Amino acid sequence: MEMLRITGLHKRFGDKEVLNGLELSVPEHSIFGFIGRNGAGKTTTMKTILGLLKADAGEILVNGEKAVYGQTGTNRHIGYLPDVPEFYPFMTAPEYLRFCGEITGMKETEISGRCKELLELVGLNEERHRIKGFSRGMKQRLGIAQALLNRPKLLICDEPTSALDPVGRKEILDLLLAVREQTTVLFSTHILSDVERICTDVALLNQGTAEIQGKLADIRSRYRSDQYTVETENRAGMLALQQAFPLMRHTGPNQLVFREEDSKVFDIMRFAADQQIPLLKIEREEATLESLFMEVVEK
Amino acid sequence: MKSLLAFIRKEWTEHFRSGRVLIFGILFLFFSILGPATAMLTPRLYEMLAESYAGSGIVFTGVTVTAMDSWVQFFKNMPIALIVFILLESSVFTREYRSGTLLLSLTKGLERWKIVAAKTVVPVILWTLCYWLCFGVTYGYTGYFWDNAVVQNLPFSAGCWWLFGLWAIMLMVFFSTLSASNTGVLAGTGGIVLLCVLLGVFPQVSKYLPTMLMDGNSLIYGAAQPETYIMPLAVAAVTAAVCFMLSIPVFNRKQM
Repeated sequence: MEMLRITGLHKRFGDKEVLNGLELSVPEHSIFGFIGRNGAGKTTTMKTILGLLKADAGEILVNGEKAVYGQTGTNRHIGYLPDVPEFYPFMTAPEYLRFCGEITGMKETEISGRCKELLELVGLNEERHRIKGFSRGMKQRLGIAQALLNRPKLLICDEPTSALDPVGRKEILDLLLAVREQTTVLFSTHILSDVERICTDVALLNQGTAEIQGKLADIRSRYRSDQYTVETENRAGMLALQQAFPLMRHTGPNQLVFREEDSKVFDIMRFAADQQIPLLKIEREEATLESLFMEVVEK
Repeated sequence: MKSLLAFIRKEWTEHFRSGRVLIFGILFLFFSILGPATAMLTPRLYEMLAESYAGSGIVFTGVTVTAMDSWVQFFKNMPIALIVFILLESSVFTREYRSGTLLLSLTKGLERWKIVAAKTVVPVILWTLCYWLCFGVTYGYTGYFWDNAVVQNLPFSAGCWWLFGLWAIMLMVFFSTLSASNTGVLAGTGGIVLLCVLLGVFPQVSKYLPTMLMDGNSLIYGAAQPETYIMPLAVAAVTAAVCFMLSIPVFNRKQM
């Protein structure tokens, strides 16, 4: 079942078309990595899902219900963690969670139990100081706790690890992995190693559309075969190779890149031997999300 | 209702912990004592002046101070108290726009009108408490030293000023939903008050303007009758209600 479905979403800020007919489908209980470079429209998409921004066109369904701008009832299914979560600095962490529980309309007994449970989960149960003294990592952990408070069916996290040190990042990724059983996680990021570590599904946002999306494993096998780099000793050799194998791409001085499906590595080696082209290296690189990402954004 | 109360409680806690309640308490207590104190000091000031001008031929005759002098001072001080109140409260919305703290409450499904309501109720309660505390202390001191009975229409004129404060708060709330910056809120609120003051020059218009409610001194001297204040009272009440009702749809459409 789909937890989130976006169809034909358009959003323009002045002259800039940020979302250009975005289509997205997030399956239930997935950890969905929403990848794109800065300014690709990730935050705009998330804010539109939450009814904080008005879409110019398109439809958003959360758990089968239509999300609308402003007062949207679909937010009861959603827990949201913004990129830099801002809390009331004069409150303590338990006070803030209690406040969140009360404005969500949770029962008193449920609030107490859930606050205790979540503060333990995010490791803030011993913290007695007001939020104004919290580090960025602590705020991010409190952010996850508040987002999970009313047991949302969809947890939306906007670049939850971007501003954190390696320890903080690991803690947040571990938390997202831990909550997968309870909820569906949609998280945006441009840190590809985070995606490779925890995501089951990904979508790659570029120029306002999801250029690639699906199961991470499928995408790896479907879109990428291994990539090779060939470096010749001189320019003449490089040009001769490129002439014989036009699908090879020139990427550096005397350096060519090709995919196994485009040009067979043994044909190239045979050609180099026949023509006596001196080679400095032939290197096989494993397909990574980064190379796929670069390929899409540089297209 | 529970979520509205939770947001009101949050606003109240914020006012307490940020020290604003303390500042208002000190400010309004200061103004409540200032009226009677100024009235008490006036004869002494005249005596001192008389002494210094004794040889110059200028003669100061004895000055009699009554409760009227204390109340005149009270109504003269109130505009300053209200300006400070509005200055400190003008960031009640904009601070949250700037910091982004409303985002999480809104995404939890908190209805937007409840935010507007809570952010209106708390300044209204604070203004009411501070204003009537100030009035009460002035009344007590003035009554102790002189006789409040010489002052005409005192409860009515005090009520008019209180309503003028509420009207200004409603303007502030409305401009807070419209503008993203403190400057915008203060310019909007101050601009409307200034416009009313300027229009007050024309007698045919001035009798309808809420700014007339500030003229408590004419009432306590008996120079004006309460009936003439009915129209500005009605205009202030209606425009305050309209401001509040408009604030909700404006805030509903605000992009965060």
